[in-house]
Amino acid sequence: MESPLLRTAFRRAIVACQNPAKRRVGLQPRRYFATPVDAQGGRDDIQAAPPIRFTSEDDQFSQTRPRAELITNDTFARGGRGGGRERGGGGGGDQEVDYRQLLRRIRVVPASPSYFTATPRYTDDLLHLSSLLRKHQLLPMVMPGEAPRVAWKTIDQYKTELAEPIRSKSYNTLLQLLKRLNYIHPSLMPQEITDALEKYKRDVQPHLNVPNPIVVNEYGVAKAVGRRKSSTAQVYIVEGTGECLVNGKSLTEYFGRLHDRESAIWALKATQRIDKYNIWALASGGGTTGQAEAITLGLAKALMAHEPDLKPALRRAGCVTRNPKRVERKKPGKLKARKMPAWVKR
Amino acid sequence: MILRSLLLRQGRFALPRSTLIRPFRRYLASQIEETYTNPHQHQQFIAGADGDATKSQAATSLSAESEVLDNDPVALNYALQQHSKAVTGKIGSMVEPHYRPHELLSNPPSPKDITLELLMASQSHIGHSTSLWHPANAKYIFGVRGEDGHPIHIISLDVTAAHLRRACKVVSGVTERGGLVLFVGSREGQARCVVNAASMSKGCHLFTKWIPGTITNGQQILGKCKKKVVNHKDEEVKGFEDQLIQKAAVKPDLVVCLNPLENYVLLHECALNNIPTVGIVDTDVNPTWITYPIPANDDSLRCVQLIAGVLGRAGQEGQAVRRELALTGQLPARQDHGLEPPAEQETDERNSRDKEHGRNLLQAGDV
Repeated sequence: MESPLLRTAFRRAIVACQNPAKRRVGLQPRRYFATPVDAQGGRDDIQAAPPIRFTSEDDQFSQTRPRAELITNDTFARGGRGGGRERGGGGGGDQEVDYRQLLRRIRVVPASPSYFTATPRYTDDLLHLSSLLRKHQLLPMVMPGEAPRVAWKTIDQYKTELAEPIRSKSYNTLLQLLKRLNYIHPSLMPQEITDALEKYKRDVQPHLNVPNPIVVNEYGVAKAVGRRKSSTAQVYIVEGTGECLVNGKSLTEYFGRLHDRESAIWALKATQRIDKYNIWALASGGGTTGQAEAITLGLAKALMAHEPDLKPALRRAGCVTRNPKRVERKKPGKLKARKMPAWVKR
Repeated sequence: MILRSLLLRQGRFALPRSTLIRPFRRYLASQIEETYTNPHQHQQFIAGADGDATKSQAATSLSAESEVLDNDPVALNYALQQHSKAVTGKIGSMVEPHYRPHELLSNPPSPKDITLELLMASQSHIGHSTSLWHPANAKYIFGVRGEDGHPIHIISLDVTAAHLRRACKVVSGVTERGGLVLFVGSREGQARCVVNAASMSKGCHLFTKWIPGTITNGQQILGKCKKKVVNHKDEEVKGFEDQLIQKAAVKPDLVVCLNPLENYVLLHECALNNIPTVGIVDTDVNPTWITYPIPANDDSLRCVQLIAGVLGRAGQEGQAVRRELALTGQLPARQDHGLEPPAEQETDERNSRDKEHGRNLLQAGDV
């Protein structure tokens, strides 16, 4: 009955009444002005914004100024603030030309050809050592057991130094190369290999830390130190008639127990040299047995300084090894080191 | 008859018996004289003057040994051994120029030395079993050979030669314009030829597994690897270190892959980043992975070393051309590096300004 047009018109009217946002004024298509109309009105001409002042110079926009702007060191240095300095001049112009030329000529490249391995420093090390080995692989070698003993860096030390993620397998390959290079006979070892290997050695070589050898001095005295439990004994031995002083006292005075007296000079007794040497011992710490056994060890070491060939005999006698036993500490929950309190059923 | 001394054979390990070492007794003439000249001096691969090398080696080793440790019998024995080798090494039969495997690495051939005979001798025509082929390679295949049970495809060597020459052109073209070439070969035995080729072309090498994401996720994987700025003479230019820290990881301009079957991830990443690739395409490899395929045998180390060597030489020639042009002032297209001139004065001033600022802060904070 009503036309669809009327129906639509009525619907629109209802919507417009209910929703103010949907009211169309005049049913005309909206036009948006290309340029915003000035609120004040009246101004037809459109004016450009005032020029942005880049520097504090008044003539920066003048027509007579040269069009190419010289980029001097000063403008970069001051961040464009101190532009009042003189531009141009011989030095400044050359520098500017240099920078333009420089930028034209430079390119960014990887610092190492191993860049794309993600571990460039490790790869370069590996290649360097491989090339050294290839060059000197025909040099005579020593047997592996006779090669100079070297403490190489651990993988953690190496990784920390390089700051690269290196697998242990990769580092083992490197270590194999180092060991092989180390097998070259020392008399023919090239200097470049020695220099290359130095970088991979630990700062402190533990095996170089050897104790001072016990020697017989110009008076014929050898001094050695022995320890047992918490006792220490310094023993001086010299060829003589068989006298013995421990802490200024004779052996019988100092050690009341026969067993202790015997064990103190066991090294001489086992080799039948009691009457051949004089002993001066200073024992401290611990108790009687500990001090006696400490003197045993010290005496044996000093005796070996006089007669090194006695070592197998002294070893059989049991004087050479330092007894590592110490008093075990008491633990919580036990009465002594091992003794448990009485078991209670409940 | 070829003279061989027992001493020379067993010389690798130190000889313990001192009776062998008699430095003052002369078995041989002390002067090294060249009694016979080899008429076949010119070889296909230029010999590295081996004869001269040993002579000079003996002389230098003798002098070197005298400096190191005169007394050591091993050193003296070694010096004698080297001397004997230098004097007697060439006496005997004349050996014709022949293939020596190490020459592919020490002195590889150049692109102009590519011949079908060379390719055939390097076993580059041998493809895989016919049941394993990729049909897209049909146009590179010459035919089928082999016994009834196990026929294999034979690659056409004229096609190989043409593609190899084209690849050489590509590599030399890239290096002429200052591009970065990455040589990749992750199979066993390919490391040396890859490193050599990269050093000749002044590019990069990779002989271990390609880390997926090295190009697409370069910031993460290569973020800690150092870059540098070089000028037209390949000299390093200082002053850009702080800018380089911000810069993205470097991407190669061309990738040469010697075993595409194992490096499909690398080739995919290159394709994603519009990096052209050169690769050895065997009969079982998908040739569409690679921009400039070289149909050849990727399982033969000799063939791979030959191709890597030839491409390396091509890169070397390109670098030489670029250097010559650069020295005369003709520079290739500028790299879009986005760097700014290093402002050294600015940093000094900034440091002094920061110090002052810090001092002021301190004064303000003090109560």
